[in-house]
Amino acid sequence: MRPDAEMPFFFGDDAGLFGMYHAPALPARRAVLMCPPLGQDLIRCHRLYRQLAQALAGQGLAVLRFDYHGTGDSAGGSAEVDWNRCVADTVTATAELRLRAGVDRVVVFGARLGGSIALAAAERARFSEVIAWDPVLEGDEYVSALDAMQAALREDADRFTRPRSHADVAEQWLGFNIGDGLRHQLSELSLRGADVPTLVLDSLPPSAGSRWDRIVSSRGTVAAIAPPTPWNDLRRLEAAILSQPLIQAVSGRLKETA
Amino acid sequence: MMREEAHRFGRGRHLVGIAGLADVAAGDTGVIVINAGLVHRIGPFRLHVELTRQLNAAGYPTLRFDLSTLGDSTATGGGQTRTQQVCADLDDAMNLLKSRAGCERFVLVGLCSGAQNAHIVAATDPRVSGAVFLDGYAYRTLGYKLRHYLPRIVDPGRWARLLRRRAGGGGDGLPKPPSEPIFAVAPAPREEVIADFTGMVARGMKLYLVYSGGISNYFNHARQFRECFGKVMSHPAVTTRYLAETDHTYILTGDRARLLDGIGGWLAHNFPPAAAGRHA
Repeated sequence: MRPDAEMPFFFGDDAGLFGMYHAPALPARRAVLMCPPLGQDLIRCHRLYRQLAQALAGQGLAVLRFDYHGTGDSAGGSAEVDWNRCVADTVTATAELRLRAGVDRVVVFGARLGGSIALAAAERARFSEVIAWDPVLEGDEYVSALDAMQAALREDADRFTRPRSHADVAEQWLGFNIGDGLRHQLSELSLRGADVPTLVLDSLPPSAGSRWDRIVSSRGTVAAIAPPTPWNDLRRLEAAILSQPLIQAVSGRLKETA
Repeated sequence: MMREEAHRFGRGRHLVGIAGLADVAAGDTGVIVINAGLVHRIGPFRLHVELTRQLNAAGYPTLRFDLSTLGDSTATGGGQTRTQQVCADLDDAMNLLKSRAGCERFVLVGLCSGAQNAHIVAATDPRVSGAVFLDGYAYRTLGYKLRHYLPRIVDPGRWARLLRRRAGGGGDGLPKPPSEPIFAVAPAPREEVIADFTGMVARGMKLYLVYSGGISNYFNHARQFRECFGKVMSHPAVTTRYLAETDHTYILTGDRARLLDGIGGWLAHNFPPAAAGRHA
């Protein structure tokens, strides 16, 4: 790897957003913005995001990874994470990527809530395509799942020598303080499709209905990825999410549409 | 006020880290935070971000960074052993923080494998004047075994459960799936570790060992510090703390806040910002 092919930097208002720019060897014709998920999923996906960014940069694409306000290395405390701010930060990051790469066409990739944020920001950011991996469409289900995992965490004998009090685990999700604002925003979340080509990469356990219909009905497709990704397994909470099939699916898609 | 800078640095420009610089005039001690396990530089549940920012606010320059091959850092490809690589990476990190904040002396902070790596460098580099070891080296002592097994042996309920299982009447018959080991400290000979600690305090280093209930499979009481490492644990330069309730990676935000306050208090006592580093 060229030593400066991956450059860390801060950008945005007050230089509060952290970014990692992956520059291709030759001038790019397209760029990819990578929207991270939130909470512990962000940490679990860090290595996979880096691997995917390197693979795409190797294909000649300019790539930007970044952290929203209140997440990762960006400014702000974890309790300050706000849905609208995440969407706005995605728009800011897209502008930064266009500037750095010198291109207008930007594809966005996001896992879980990162995919949801990408879909929500698609029109404002003028993405040419959205690639969403197991995006969260119904926020209330997601909130319920996190609440259930947090309740189970309280008496997780693999982690604590004795159960913790309800007060000890209150107002947190799996290691992170959450404000009432974000809980409310996610509870109200019900995503529709964006008016751009959309590829959903599905590695969730099989379900009865067609969960992705509403976001791929007009301009989208769904591709399955195996094996299922253990997003909500408390025993693997601190294990990295790695997936070679995911990298192949995204890089293959971007070769197809080059 | 403080500000953070993103850096690609090191002998091969292979390391990535975030320097946190206090705007107020600081002392000459900087704090460097090392990866915990395979988690990138932000730390488990953002522990390292919260720690470095809290220390910046107290006037300490900081650096949280990724060691070679971890997080966003790459390998140098120099054919070094892992120990040599860790020492060289920390040398690069100390040079960076010196160039950005004028630090001459350093306190290293590491959790689990991070504590092990901090230990390696603290034992050999004279610029290191303090270290915070979170769930670092430990050994199952006789005291550990007595505390662990005796209550089980004399617990009639445990015997009853065991007999029911033997008779096929207890549980669902399915083995409990094991948790995946994510964090681990590789063992080192106890005599070597004791000699390292003794050497560290002899040259004026201050040590803070904080062990959690999350490593109860080999550490289960405050007394075990002395059982493991002997009289050096009673040296005035050594502070120990056992947090029985807490898990290994401080997943609960209240536990994390208490840990950070403890580290901040220990630093303020041993390395007050205005005179930091001048004790040795």
